[in-house]
Amino acid sequence: MQTKIYLFLFLIISGFNLSAQEQKMTDAEIASFKQDVNVVAKKIKTLTTDFVQYKHLDFLSKDIETSGKMVFKEPALLQWQYKKPYNYSITFKNGKILINDEGKKSAVDIGNSKIFARINKLIVGSVSGNMFDDKEFAISYFKLKGQNLAKFIPKDATLKKYIKQIELTFDKEEATVVQVKLLESSEDYTRIVLKNKVINAKIDDSVFTN
Amino acid sequence: MQKSTIQFLLINCFLAIVLISCGSVTKKYTPKKLDKTSYTVPYFSDSKTDYVYKTNISVYGNELSGIFIAKKINDTTHRIVFTTEFGNKLMDFEISDTDFKVNSIVSELDRKILINTLKEDFRLLLKKEYLIQEQFENESDDIYKSADGKRDNYIFISKKDQILEKIVHASQTKEKFTLFFSSENNIFAEKIQIIHQNIKLKIELNYFKSE
Repeated sequence: MQTKIYLFLFLIISGFNLSAQEQKMTDAEIASFKQDVNVVAKKIKTLTTDFVQYKHLDFLSKDIETSGKMVFKEPALLQWQYKKPYNYSITFKNGKILINDEGKKSAVDIGNSKIFARINKLIVGSVSGNMFDDKEFAISYFKLKGQNLAKFIPKDATLKKYIKQIELTFDKEEATVVQVKLLESSEDYTRIVLKNKVINAKIDDSVFTN
Repeated sequence: MQKSTIQFLLINCFLAIVLISCGSVTKKYTPKKLDKTSYTVPYFSDSKTDYVYKTNISVYGNELSGIFIAKKINDTTHRIVFTTEFGNKLMDFEISDTDFKVNSIVSELDRKILINTLKEDFRLLLKKEYLIQEQFENESDDIYKSADGKRDNYIFISKKDQILEKIVHASQTKEKFTLFFSSENNIFAEKIQIIHQNIKLKIELNYFKSE
């Protein structure tokens, strides 16, 4: 019984520790962190990475897990290829969204859609990490163990309807994004973990098609 | 005299047409003695299971795809969420036999006619218990008729392995929409199609296992 109580106390205390790990950055730390990220982001011409996406809905017993590969080429070519548990790719290219859904191809023109243009910019920005735009977001900065965390709250009301908050987690050493978390509400979010990142490998434009 | 004969013929013709169409939903089937008074649908009934399906919706030539999630949250109610592949929530409903609540819906899809159609579709999809009034059969299935307000549901159970294969929602004269199920074990439906007969709407659900 006593061991159980100790275990319980231990869990609570370590829980406190965990939340205490998220420490606000000082102004000097923010400036140096932003500079590190911008230096790296500027060097990124292409980027490929594997990703695992966890969709968390409060009422589900388990997160919904999908995974695949993401390819980015500057300035704004972006493709997400879902490979498991289904084949689905979505490509952002020249104001168009190209979709390949298990072989079924379609295209959506987003040229005139401001909201899609915004979301697109946001996705590209969150992958490269370069989205420290104070005009668009209220941004706050935190330190974690071996990582940095930036939280973005959209200022635009329309965008806010879709996304309440975006959290980007950066590897401290590499100053690149390792996790993107899109919060729809406090209970529901999408968490995307990026791994096996390859920077500036040669990627042909022809990859970005459906 | 001649005028009234014509009228009489017209009325007769009209009646004949009405009678023929009245029988149209069941006329293909042979009546049979009732072997049960109720039927319990096995799919979507486990409160511990997250029912997650890749979804394709085709509506008047437009394609929409995403993820359909259903979960039984208490004895009477299911929560239904439809998201994009990216995870953005497009719709979030709570639905039971008698209640319906929209938790959220993106403004692009916030149309009364669409919400009402989906409400009808999903209510039938998640309905657990059917009271049976009549029974029919065809070559492959036993068919149970269950009253649903002014309309009826026809439940098709395969004679071969007793698996629920489809449910037809129909008025007295016309089929409105049909749910097709593919299930290996009659506990779980791996593939579901909802096809409307009166509007161009088709919803296809393919179960996927989260890895």
